Amino acid sequence: MIQSLRRDFSIYRAIAAMAAKTRLAYNMWVWADFVVTIVSMIVFVYFWRAVYAGTSTLSGLALSQTITYILLARLLSPLVETRTIFFFGFMIRQGQIAVELTRPLDMQARIMTESFAELLVFLIQRLPLFLIAWLFFGLQLPSSPALWGAFFISLVLGQIVLFLFDWMFACLAFYVTETWGLSVVRVAAGSFFSGAIVPLVMMPDWLQNLAMSLPFAQAMAVPVSFLSGISTVADAPHIWLTQLIWLLVLLVLSRIVFGIAVRKVTVQGG
Amino acid sequence: MAIIQVEHLNKTFKVQRKEPGLAGAVKALFLPKYEDKVAVNGISFSIDTGEIVGYIGVNGAGKSTTIKMLTGILVPSSGSVLVLERDPHRERVANAREIGVVFGQRTQLWWDLAFIESLSLVAKIYQVPQVRYKQLLDQFAETLELKELFSVPIRNMSLGQKMRAELAATLIHEPRVVYLDEPTIGLDLIVKERIREFIKEQNRTRSTTVVLTTHDLGDIEELCKRVIIIDTGKLIYDGPIETIKERFGKYREITFETLSTPGHVDLPSGAEIILAEPRKISVRFDRTAITASGVAAALMNQIEVKDFSLSEPDLASIIRQIYNGALNEEQAA
Amino acid sequence: MTRYLELYWHFLIQRFKILMEYRLNFFIGSSSTAILQAASLAAIWVVMRQIPSLNGWSFYEVILVYGLLTMGESITHMFADNLWTVGWNYVRSGDFDRFLVRPIDPLFHLLADRFCHDGIGNLITGAVLVGVSMQKLDIAFSLLHIMYIIISVLSGGVIFIALNLITATSVFWIMESIPVTQMVFTMNEFAKYPLSIYHSSIRVLLTWIIPYGFVSFYPASYLLGRDVGALVWLSPLVALVFIFIAYRIWLFGLRHYSSTGS
Repeated sequence: MIQSLRRDFSIYRAIAAMAAKTRLAYNMWVWADFVVTIVSMIVFVYFWRAVYAGTSTLSGLALSQTITYILLARLLSPLVETRTIFFFGFMIRQGQIAVELTRPLDMQARIMTESFAELLVFLIQRLPLFLIAWLFFGLQLPSSPALWGAFFISLVLGQIVLFLFDWMFACLAFYVTETWGLSVVRVAAGSFFSGAIVPLVMMPDWLQNLAMSLPFAQAMAVPVSFLSGISTVADAPHIWLTQLIWLLVLLVLSRIVFGIAVRKVTVQGG
Repeated sequence: MAIIQVEHLNKTFKVQRKEPGLAGAVKALFLPKYEDKVAVNGISFSIDTGEIVGYIGVNGAGKSTTIKMLTGILVPSSGSVLVLERDPHRERVANAREIGVVFGQRTQLWWDLAFIESLSLVAKIYQVPQVRYKQLLDQFAETLELKELFSVPIRNMSLGQKMRAELAATLIHEPRVVYLDEPTIGLDLIVKERIREFIKEQNRTRSTTVVLTTHDLGDIEELCKRVIIIDTGKLIYDGPIETIKERFGKYREITFETLSTPGHVDLPSGAEIILAEPRKISVRFDRTAITASGVAAALMNQIEVKDFSLSEPDLASIIRQIYNGALNEEQAA
Repeated sequence: MTRYLELYWHFLIQRFKILMEYRLNFFIGSSSTAILQAASLAAIWVVMRQIPSLNGWSFYEVILVYGLLTMGESITHMFADNLWTVGWNYVRSGDFDRFLVRPIDPLFHLLADRFCHDGIGNLITGAVLVGVSMQKLDIAFSLLHIMYIIISVLSGGVIFIALNLITATSVFWIMESIPVTQMVFTMNEFAKYPLSIYHSSIRVLLTWIIPYGFVSFYPASYLLGRDVGALVWLSPLVALVFIFIAYRIWLFGLRHYSSTGS
């Protein structure tokens, strides 16, 4: 622990400096997010310790692996949330679809860029929490750069997959006025089937298969599996290829569905 | 006994002074500096039952702060407020039973409820007896023309309809004092007239005391016999409206857009040219000496007019005049 | 007192009139919370089918704790949801002042103004979880047990409301109370599982300081015949103490609001 602290001192210092500078600008919302995330991490760690009390492995995972997995999933949780459906609903209510579509850049590409930029900012904001999880909660991250590389590529691919799926899902906003209920289903399904609450490998086979046939796992469980020792570097090419296929299929589908939905609104009047 | 009695009313707020930059932010966190901001400065007045009093001043003069103290929302820093012989803050509930408040743009009714449902809930809150509620409902439906509005939710009402509904809701419990904050803002002339008529009628038949804060001089002229003017927290005028109109509010301006450059123009007495441009001419006239139509007629007889606009007297400038006038009177005395 | 009950009834009727206009939304809203719970419950099931017990608590015993917490939370969700929105929806907009010129208690008005039907899903889900787990654990549905559960759920609900009220009062100082309320509210996550799995410091926190433990763990212990001493009878007392404290704090906040305005 001490040795690794010395090794990563420069990182630590940078984070501390950033925290100090921005501390005064940090408002209550950020603190609230911190507290909420830390509390849930504490709950998870104690819960899983109790789960592993009588055994050393479950579904092939050791306690340390599971804890790493769950902590990562919690810290990365914004990555499985979505606001696209609210955004569509809002746009429709304001009658702004025509405006959006006449903008020079492709709407989907533009919104994806904005969305990813926001996510990046949010994750950077969470860096102190990663540090806390690493120092106190037993988050164990691999040191192999190859694994990290595999993780990042898989993460980017998976996030695009999820974004495209949500794009399609959000088109329901063109057909239903009350988007709140839909988003609840999306949140519930997303958090469960992305493996964010329970590692997918622990699920019974039929449930695992269901999870893998949904896009949520690609955005969270699959990339995180590299960091928690579930997937190895050798698995990377196969995994990336799968994600790429997901991506291409959803890219085509989402644009078709979107086109249909928009036509429905502009023809019938929103 | 005056129904509203205000004596040496003071309200001072503590406002934190923040310096810019990082150093300023740090200082603000550990050594906060507070400044005193005086919103109401030693105001005294009394209002009798059945009066309709205009309470006017520019934005930030302290009007809403005073109203908040009168209605019991805010506690004075010093001085006393008595409404119906009660301290409106200490005896909040008892006071609330006998007052009605209209907060300009904000409705007290529930956005999604049909108007009649909103109204019945308000009546229940104020414990209006069922029989009386029915009577008043019929009366208001008549005088405010509410029959078609009963099943309409507030969110679907136009501005004028909203205000009529609001007035009904405010008066359904027959309050003895009513505070109206900008009741006619944004309304068209016809609706304004109706609202003013209604207020006058309520005041006549029920002796409802009305405190009216407004920027609309039309409201003041039609409704108020007495006006209290405050500026930067101080009371600078408390008296009949005639005096103001006579002394300060008598000038108006008409700006004419003409088709050709006017040459010499003869104006009736009481009117003078204050701006003469190639195709524009502005005339200021004394309303007590000549009417707007008189001026317009005189001018249009002499030149071809394309368009014209009439400007209202500026409340801010009237107040400044009064303030300066009050200062002058003090110095003279 | 009866007057307030009657008045609340009228508020409720009007609220339902609005909700019934959009029946589909009402149904979706009510079941949305149940759907969210389904994800968590599915996770618990997945995990616990692999192990004999969680720190000595079997699957259905864990479900009993979870169900009791859900029922307690549903009470505040249904009846005190406005404590979350008091900042942006009432104080910031100035609508809160309207409550101060009406002849009823402003807190009552704030809470009565919005019955949140989403919470119904939680109440039903929780009740089902409690009922099913009791049946599977052979806990008798005796009159005593039913009364105990009702009182525990009500006490739990009051504890939730009290804690939310204390944090909501911050709105009078910082204009937006949601982050503060969120920070305390999130502690209830601990009480979803038996407190015995945590470090003793957490147990102390959840028992005496932020007493969510009395919503689920101690009542569950009683029903399961697990010995935790007199704590099983204390839920109503804790609820009363905390709501009393919360109301005093709220009044203090109101006094501050009436001297500083908004």
